[in-house]
Amino acid sequence: MKRSRILVFAIVLVMILGACAPAAETPVVEEPTGDDPSAICEADDFGCAVIAPGQTIKIGMGSPMTGGNAAFGIDAEQSGLIAVEDADDLMGFQFELIAEDDGGTPEGGAAVANKFAADPTVVGVAGHLFSGATFAALPIYEEIGIPMLSPSATNPDLTKQGSRVFNRVPFTDEAQGEAAAAFMYDVLGFRKVAFLHDGQDYGKGLAEIAAATFESLGGEVVELMGITPGEADYSPVLSTIAAQSPDALYFGGYTQEGVVLTNNMKTSGLEDVVFFGCDGTFGVDYLTRTGANGEGTYHATPRTPPETPEKDAFDAAYLTRWGQSPGELSPFTWNSYDCTTALIEQVKEVAMLGADGSLYIPRGALVDGVRGLANYVGISGTYTCAPVGDCNVEGPTFWIVEDGEFVAVN
Amino acid sequence: MEANKRSRPKLTRRNYSKIIRPIFGIMVLGYILWRLYLVLIVQQVYTAEIWVRLLISGLIIGGVYALIAIGYTLVYGILFMINFAHGEVMMIGAFAGYFLFEFTKSINVAAPGEPPLSFSDGYPLISVILAFLVGMTIAAAAGFFLEKIAYRPLRKAPRLIPLISAIGASFFLQNAAQLLFSPQVRDYTNPQAIARGSGWTIMINDARVIVTYTGALTFILSILLMIGLYVMVQKTKLGKAMRAVASDKNTAALMGIDVDVIISRTFIISGALAGAAGVMWGLHNGLVHFFVGFLPGIKAFTAAVLGGIGNIPGAMLGGMFLGLIESLGPTALGISYQLKDVIAFVIMIVILIFRPSGILGEVLSEEKV
Repeated sequence: MKRSRILVFAIVLVMILGACAPAAETPVVEEPTGDDPSAICEADDFGCAVIAPGQTIKIGMGSPMTGGNAAFGIDAEQSGLIAVEDADDLMGFQFELIAEDDGGTPEGGAAVANKFAADPTVVGVAGHLFSGATFAALPIYEEIGIPMLSPSATNPDLTKQGSRVFNRVPFTDEAQGEAAAAFMYDVLGFRKVAFLHDGQDYGKGLAEIAAATFESLGGEVVELMGITPGEADYSPVLSTIAAQSPDALYFGGYTQEGVVLTNNMKTSGLEDVVFFGCDGTFGVDYLTRTGANGEGTYHATPRTPPETPEKDAFDAAYLTRWGQSPGELSPFTWNSYDCTTALIEQVKEVAMLGADGSLYIPRGALVDGVRGLANYVGISGTYTCAPVGDCNVEGPTFWIVEDGEFVAVN
Repeated sequence: MEANKRSRPKLTRRNYSKIIRPIFGIMVLGYILWRLYLVLIVQQVYTAEIWVRLLISGLIIGGVYALIAIGYTLVYGILFMINFAHGEVMMIGAFAGYFLFEFTKSINVAAPGEPPLSFSDGYPLISVILAFLVGMTIAAAAGFFLEKIAYRPLRKAPRLIPLISAIGASFFLQNAAQLLFSPQVRDYTNPQAIARGSGWTIMINDARVIVTYTGALTFILSILLMIGLYVMVQKTKLGKAMRAVASDKNTAALMGIDVDVIISRTFIISGALAGAAGVMWGLHNGLVHFFVGFLPGIKAFTAAVLGGIGNIPGAMLGGMFLGLIESLGPTALGISYQLKDVIAFVIMIVILIFRPSGILGEVLSEEKV
């Protein structure tokens, strides 16, 4: 008995040693080009991502792809896929988009971030889309040195944390909230407005900024209140607001709750009150699910891209590939394309081909490269990243729903 | 010495909590009354039409809660287990109704040459009745098979085991619905005559208060179903057998009652009620997705406990009570709507402090517990 145990131990030991022994020399496939990347990788803060021959360079994307806000994620993925297809190979290496469903929630954001962090070939993340998920994901990427370029996470605090990896292209909630309040007060002439939010990072920040600005302009904030997201009936809260007889109801949040609120308003004594949404409530989903109730409501989007040949080419490609017009599912179609493309461009800047035929991408240099974007021309505008990571300062476009379509008003 | 000791009992843990709990209850009650006084008498911001609107939405959601709560109570009364998959049975009913309306919407009944008219718009009454029948039948079948598959094999197991099985069944049904019907949120296509948001208009203080058709339908139908159930339990042979099994399974079996059949039928009845609640939910709120049963299920379970679990009128009362508290509570107390669940649950805790077995609950015998 004892002897056999020793025998087994010896065999296992031999096997382990065998596994550790250097493998047979592999012939060098390609001549090394340029410098040896190992020195650069060693000097880099986060080291290098090594893409072995046959692997792809992965760009991650975290967004809600299921549930009531799925349209945002599906749109971003469709747009990102076109960006990846448009990108040329990098020294024989293909780019690949990995879009994961984070549900738009903090828990989902952290789960997706951990998944990306565990994959050594994920070099950048075009996302996350929702602010709540982004907050949770950010520290994980910070640790490993994956640059983020979000097409739509607009909570102001995201760029106030001193993060090195987080960048974004949309205007901040601060810019949107201030612009919305000014628009309601100056252009539409509202004096009494109730502000609602869904209690989450994006909606709450937006509604609070809008309410504060509205008050400072001289308007009356009759209510600033959170609702529980995900419910199917908000008529009690709306009935209570009706007691204050406001001119408009401002809502910071997403389509799911925006739709329920808009529909409930018609039966809660708010049938003559204007629903004023945000970029979270914009999209074709809102139109189809509110129908006649949605008429005359306001929403916001990033500035509509200028008409350029590049935009036309992208629009045509999107339409033929997916059978939908860009901007229909969510307002972030063009931003998503730009984010993905900008990340790919920066990867191309810093990547090196090693002697072993693998591609070496210094993560720290990539992080700095994305932050250093200057005068980058995308289809939705020209981006220059500020040192904190805000790459666009232009305010929003407001839209009104007329005859079942969004019509720009400014 | 001995007598002295007895006259001053030690403050044991048991009677310590006996003192603390009512004090906590009275404090919370006092706070609630103070808030009520502030809002209703001092501030008086809200006029009659606001209260009527809140009352209406509270009664509607209360009716739905009550119907689901009855399912919890029926099953608990007989098996002494919480059927946590009950909310999912409601979801199945809601989906069944959804697909029926999609189907009736797709049939064109217009005479040739006339503009197309779908079956559900042309015959709204028939299609609504059909939807309730289909929703109730399919949910009843779901309840039946749920019991057969998830609970019957565990009938003799310790009481925690069927509970775990119930939670597992709940997850299974949710995920099955997610895979079958996709995770997207779908909108009910109501017949044109009872479109969501349309209804009778009442003028109160020169303000329009809308009583929606779907809301009225939900409330009236839930009351009718509850009355029907009560009559069935009290007057019919099946009801008598159910009561017999509930009070003592073994003796009921000795009296010639087939306990298995009665348990099966109980699940069928509770499933049918949940299915009706699902179709009502869809017609009134319009949203249906795989997760739609979870929240109402949990709320209805709470309502059943509040009313006294195992007691059918208690479940009805608890459901209505919870619906009204959720709707009226935040406004009446002047507290943010985000905290409506907190308010509802705090009030529930206060009630359970003073009546630990629920509003209408009986004190259970040792064996039942």
